Amino acid sequence: MAKAIPRIGSRRNGRIGSRKSARRIPKGVIHVQASFNNTIVTVTDVRGRVVSWSSVGTCGFKGTRRGTPFAAQTAAANAIRTVVDQGMQRVEVMIKSLGLGRDAALRAIHEVVYY
Amino acid sequence: MSHLLIHNPIITKSCSIPTSRRSTPSIFPIAFMPLLHPPHRSIVPSSRSSIIKCMANPRRVKMVAKQIRRELSDMLLTDKVLQYAVLPEAALGADRYLSSLTTISDVEVSADLQVVKVYVSVFGDERGKEVALAGLKSKAKYVRSELGKRMKLRLTPEIRFIEDESLERGSRVLAILDKIKDENDKKTTEGQAEDLQESSDRSNDDWEGDDPDDEGIIYRYTAYTYVNENAYHTHCKTRVSNDIISTIARK
Repeated sequence: MAKAIPRIGSRRNGRIGSRKSARRIPKGVIHVQASFNNTIVTVTDVRGRVVSWSSVGTCGFKGTRRGTPFAAQTAAANAIRTVVDQGMQRVEVMIKSLGLGRDAALRAIHEVVYY
Repeated sequence: MSHLLIHNPIITKSCSIPTSRRSTPSIFPIAFMPLLHPPHRSIVPSSRSSIIKCMANPRRVKMVAKQIRRELSDMLLTDKVLQYAVLPEAALGADRYLSSLTTISDVEVSADLQVVKVYVSVFGDERGKEVALAGLKSKAKYVRSELGKRMKLRLTPEIRFIEDESLERGSRVLAILDKIKDENDKKTTEGQAEDLQESSDRSNDDWEGDDPDDEGIIYRYTAYTYVNENAYHTHCKTRVSNDIISTIARK
């Protein structure tokens, strides 16, 4: 189920992804996967190509603290920080599975947007 | 049933058991009783007012709480009846545009596994919260029967849904702390900029000029830590561990 991404040139040109990082995306999708022990926040564009991601583990939390809502807040804030400068205006939030990070990440996104 | 009579004199005094999560298991004399027997009056004539209250192993209580949490979350995600009760527009097929989001933040089980308090937090406006909580409360009996079908428990506990505001409070406190921290940073950077200017203007003999600035900075720092401690103490009083972990993690 591959999306039709046009291949420019042959494989010898190296990774195309690094060239795309300077694009401006006005509208994006934030995927929040909130399991009981961890929360992963991924920012993609409307088609689903990942722009940046952050998880509670990458924010420095370990063990049982990864499941807390405060950790989910920091992870969400971390993930959005890289994208806010790129001028993203409209965001859809998709939430998967039930965990404490569900509510907390949504609140963090809401606060970043309104302040 | 003979072993139950042997334990009789020990059990009668162990009624006041704290239901907090951190109760030490050393209090329980019945720690090795794996099964839960329903409470009944003893027939021994020497001790008249002895009502047996059987409390389960605290580790078992925790395991049951975790399992109930998993089952309830699964029900909330997959069961159509429950979803419609919480969010009326789900019945229309509105999968992508939801007005409110309910999360089960905590499940507390009493020590005898008969009462389960489910703390529900709703994200959304006031009306969404009321609708969600009212819907859940109306479906309490249905949830209880569903839980009985899914879990193998001798007695399915009574379920009570309680609104949980701790996540909101925690995020509000964090926002206030962030604001204070920003103000502090601004003041210290302004203070440092002024110090640099003054030291470049004056020479070394004016040491007294620096002291009031230092005192000001120290005073501001203590105010910040005072607010931090205050928030920490108010959160210690509430039952929720989420806030505590968040404030500790911030430090």
